[in-house]
Amino acid sequence: MTEFLVSWLASTPTFAIPIMIACVGLIVSERAGVLNLGAEGLMAVGAMMAVMVTLRSGHPWAGIIAGVGAGMGLSLLFGLAVVVLRADQILAGLATVAMGAGLSGLIGRDYVHETVPGLDKITVPGLSDLPVVGPILFNQDPLAYFAVGLALAAWWLLMRTRFGLRLRAVGEDPAAADVAGVDVQMMQLGAVLASGAACGLAGAYLSVVASQVWVENMVAGRGWIAIGLVIFARWNPSRAILGALVFGGADALLPRLLATGADVPSYLMMMLPYALTILVLALPALFKVGRGAEPENLGKPYLRQDRR
Amino acid sequence: MFERISLVRRQDVPLATRLATFAGGLAVGIGLSALLLWFAGVPGDALVDELFVQVFLSSDGLAQTVTGAAPLILVGLSSAFATRVRFWNIGIEGQLWWGAIAAAAIGIYDIGPPVLRPVLMLLAACLAGAAWIGLPLWLKVRYSISETVLTLLLTNIAFLFVQHLLFGAWKDPATGFPVSPQMQPAEQLAKFGWGNVGLSIVIALAVALLLWLLIDRSRLGIYARAVGLNATTAKATGLPVTMTITMLVLLSGALSGLAGGLAVAATEYRLTQFLGGNYTFSGIVIGFLARTHPLGVVVAAFCVAGMFTAGSSLKVFYSLSDAVVVLIEGIILMSLLAAQFFATYKVALARRSVAA
Repeated sequence: MTEFLVSWLASTPTFAIPIMIACVGLIVSERAGVLNLGAEGLMAVGAMMAVMVTLRSGHPWAGIIAGVGAGMGLSLLFGLAVVVLRADQILAGLATVAMGAGLSGLIGRDYVHETVPGLDKITVPGLSDLPVVGPILFNQDPLAYFAVGLALAAWWLLMRTRFGLRLRAVGEDPAAADVAGVDVQMMQLGAVLASGAACGLAGAYLSVVASQVWVENMVAGRGWIAIGLVIFARWNPSRAILGALVFGGADALLPRLLATGADVPSYLMMMLPYALTILVLALPALFKVGRGAEPENLGKPYLRQDRR
Repeated sequence: MFERISLVRRQDVPLATRLATFAGGLAVGIGLSALLLWFAGVPGDALVDELFVQVFLSSDGLAQTVTGAAPLILVGLSSAFATRVRFWNIGIEGQLWWGAIAAAAIGIYDIGPPVLRPVLMLLAACLAGAAWIGLPLWLKVRYSISETVLTLLLTNIAFLFVQHLLFGAWKDPATGFPVSPQMQPAEQLAKFGWGNVGLSIVIALAVALLLWLLIDRSRLGIYARAVGLNATTAKATGLPVTMTITMLVLLSGALSGLAGGLAVAATEYRLTQFLGGNYTFSGIVIGFLARTHPLGVVVAAFCVAGMFTAGSSLKVFYSLSDAVVVLIEGIILMSLLAAQFFATYKVALARRSVAA
């Protein structure tokens, strides 16, 4: 039993990290007032591009950086459409999902099922050999530690700095932020690019680090789960760590159970993360908590000339 | 940035401007898509041949397009009706899956007299689709929880349930493949002998006509228009806002369910893992292209169906994946959204930073 628990918890981060990274990026974007529903597509291009560049160059880190770049590139298109051209954020987000899925399928068709070199795990001398906590805390890949640092850094940036205050002001009341001298559009565009970079990294993690192979549709709804988690985290990056671990745990449960030879209804078990997300979306409203955390201006384009 | 450019929201958009931006957006979208396909290795003359000649002018191609249009009309209507009351139904595939499951269940368990079987199958499909949108509808109306992510996540659950059935209880005993047993002849809707064309397109067209009358002539249609324009004002004037939203959203779910039911009863004759293919996004694109007008949906659905026909032959000849059609849809939608900017706003260069 302990053995099962340890192996389950030790494999949880691998499932939690991509959701965590994407979720942190989406929080930044939503805090600036832009609802980025394109996460699924941004992760798809990130995953595909990371594998493609890793295969061509032989360096997983080059691939990961390329994945980040691909996410930023596609999110720039989305950002220009919604921030500059004031396109409907929901429709433009869905179009981004479609373009991401389509582009990765088209460009990546020659790279399907090719294995790539992944990242070595960091083993902390001494600590990694500790029973129970060793494999869980001190034997993960470098990006896992980076993701936790990223979430904390994003929290500090958003909640404790002048820059973060300005960014949040754009999402809450763009007219007031505008009067205070904040360039609303540049702030939003930057936030969208940050979310694109994060989603690209999350996708690259899925392909290069977690599975070391790329297939079409490998993101498989994780982008949407990350969007749901933003609400669970109440737009607070440090809470995203907790949320992602819960979801990663649910995701990691099935393969661990199957490995023990247990007879479980696999497809019903695979519903768990989705069902959890739905629960997480519904519960706060049912119990009337967490209201007011949502940025006031989320999803609405800002037009200076419309200001009251 | 952009301080020198001032945007003025147009009070009244002239029809010519609207048409011009729409045509411009469409042209840019199609141009970009063609360019991408060309880069992917499809020669230019083959592109024209595949996209227009084969799809609409050859008998086989046209038959495939007409067959493919039926579910697209239904999901387009589904998206359009939910959008009319500002409900984002991104779970069309989920409702479609449940429609297909319900129809297949009627066939597999031989429920009801054989004469009525097809009718029961389609009825059950509608009910199942409406039921599946019930939860997000309730949470939206009662607790104003955003329906966007909710409907989408429910789609994943529905699809996993389909797989649960197909790899378990409903696996075809004859072959062992993960598809349901075939429907008996009494449970199959008639085909006309021209390709796969059958009753499903007739039903889809009839539904579109019926819904056009509903939205154009009935009281519910007028309420829906008021709710779509401004729900708060509609409520203040005493219109039954909640009832209107509920009716239209349930109708949206039922339409998607019907699309799934028709796939089982009229074209595939069984439940498979491939019935749902990208119908959510196609439905949304069709609803958007048609500006939620039921008859516009029919036209847009035929165009998208043609794209799918072309896509399936491109797939065979140039080893492109299904993703290409989705990509083209995405590019065209994005271009149209961007082009709409020029219809909504008047762009003027400000002399100085005026508004600050």
